Amino acid sequence: MSISVATAEPRRRLHPLTPLLKGARALVVIIAALSWQTLGRVGLGWFAAMVVAALIGQVILALISWYFTGYQVVGRELRIHEGLVFRRTRAIPLERIQAVEVVRPLLAQLTGLAELRLEVVGGGKTEAPLAFLTVDEARTLRERLLVLAGKATATVPAAEVADGEPAPVAHLERPIHAVANRDLLISQLLTPQTLLMPFGIAFVVVQFASEATWSFIGIASTLTAMAGVLLQPVRRILADWNFRLASQDESLRVRGGLLETRSQTVPLDRLQAVTATWPLLWRRKRWLRLRPHVAGVAAPNAGDDSGGARLLPVGDPETARLVLGEALPGVALDAIPFTPPSRRARWLHPLAWRVLGAALTDQVVAHREGLVTRQVLVVPYARIQSVRVVRGPLQRRLGLATVYADTAGGPSAAARDRDVREAWELAATLAERSRAARSVLAEP
Amino acid sequence: MSERSERTIGLSTSPTSALEPWPETVEWRPVSRDLIWVELIGLASFMIFVFAGLAILWALTGHWIFGLALAAAAVMTAWRVTVIFRAVKAWGYAERDNDLLVRHGLLVRRLSIVPYARMQFVDVTAGPLERSFGLATVQLHTAAAASDAKIPGLPPDEASRLRDRLTALGEDRAEGL
Repeated sequence: MSISVATAEPRRRLHPLTPLLKGARALVVIIAALSWQTLGRVGLGWFAAMVVAALIGQVILALISWYFTGYQVVGRELRIHEGLVFRRTRAIPLERIQAVEVVRPLLAQLTGLAELRLEVVGGGKTEAPLAFLTVDEARTLRERLLVLAGKATATVPAAEVADGEPAPVAHLERPIHAVANRDLLISQLLTPQTLLMPFGIAFVVVQFASEATWSFIGIASTLTAMAGVLLQPVRRILADWNFRLASQDESLRVRGGLLETRSQTVPLDRLQAVTATWPLLWRRKRWLRLRPHVAGVAAPNAGDDSGGARLLPVGDPETARLVLGEALPGVALDAIPFTPPSRRARWLHPLAWRVLGAALTDQVVAHREGLVTRQVLVVPYARIQSVRVVRGPLQRRLGLATVYADTAGGPSAAARDRDVREAWELAATLAERSRAARSVLAEP
Repeated sequence: MSERSERTIGLSTSPTSALEPWPETVEWRPVSRDLIWVELIGLASFMIFVFAGLAILWALTGHWIFGLALAAAAVMTAWRVTVIFRAVKAWGYAERDNDLLVRHGLLVRRLSIVPYARMQFVDVTAGPLERSFGLATVQLHTAAAASDAKIPGLPPDEASRLRDRLTALGEDRAEGL
């Protein structure tokens, strides 16, 4: 590949000590890979020889990779070149860089070097670590990148700026909603885990009574198993106790917790989507749950159910409308005109066909799914990252297509199994509307 | 007739006539046909090991099942070859004013619409085989992990041009979130 731009500044290499540092970093991995078992079998001398051989190999590899790694600033973008066999050139427009950090791990500190980390929003991974540079080089490059990106001032986190302002009086919190603890308790009693618990206990008691072998271990293990099953509802109760939602400065503040009080901030300009969930057992009460999807440079681990932010742990439709109105003004869940997929899709989803649906309103695209646990996902047009149309073999035979609207870090809104003509139209409309919504956002 | 009465997410701003689904009205640019060779050689270098392994086993044991496996492998290879030919022709991309369109896939057909404004960074990669044919892959990354905008089999000039254009167009816009 010829990436030669005449006007560009020359490619620069990383610091020459880089291969040695990377090799030293690999030392621990090498020893772990060889394992102590090998040490016991071959003796210390051979073990040391093996480690040294692997280390030298590692350093040679690092040397080659160092030789072929380079970075350069071309106009308003940073380019990072990598690789001997598989070559890669990454071009990062400086406007897209969220944060530039100078990091100094222990080994780098000893040698007076530093690592420059660039945060880009793509999928939450640190995209481009430049390791290693001298500290001065790293600092000047950081300053230069930030100046070029035009956000030298934006490096101060927004929160600190707000604290430093002389008039914080205007930023008073405005309470929106508080969840009654009684509702929270009932809602968590109405989960499969809690409801099935008496049957479990009865089964165990009958078992023990008939067998008549009351061993301590048997009882203890049964109890632990039950505690494990009950853990999730209990954790939710603990996390959402005294749940209060307030609005402050373009963001929503969530507070709650019994053992430890947590306070979370949901910045509205980073809110990508909202999921509303109606669990089967809550349906008699018409309760639902609202969960925000926030794009974060450092998102909390999404897998942990109790850790994720909640806009509303439990609430009736009126409350949900109030809360959703704060999060996404002008969006009402019951006013979204869902339309089912094409009739030909019935054979693909005989039961769920009635539930599946997608809708466009003037602000959002939404989908509905889930026969048992009903879910509605709402994505504002302005948050759509890309639009995809996917047609599987069966769908093509039936003349169907699925349209996805992808969000950053959140789930994709999916209009499943639409008629293919409608799907194309839908995709074009989504692209068009998301562009229109973006340009409104860009010029406030 | 029931098709007519179906409720759709009807939209007044329909960009296309009903007879002409719009992906066909876009001017698609194909990827290089040399990508077929890249994929074929990749396939061949993998299948050689499979064939050699099966043949040796057959020669050593003389069991008919290895002969059968060999025949199956040959049929599969032939099928893959036809798929490669058609799949490379299925790749296509189009640069519109505000977004990049990429379509690919044979069994599962995919079309991605990625606005330039959403671009976070652009990768240009080239493996050894690709480079020997003078090809490169351009991949556009957005903040959404699900976005899927990868164009393989571009000549280096075209790859550089596309990358420069993508980053230049992306720079005009705001944060991209």
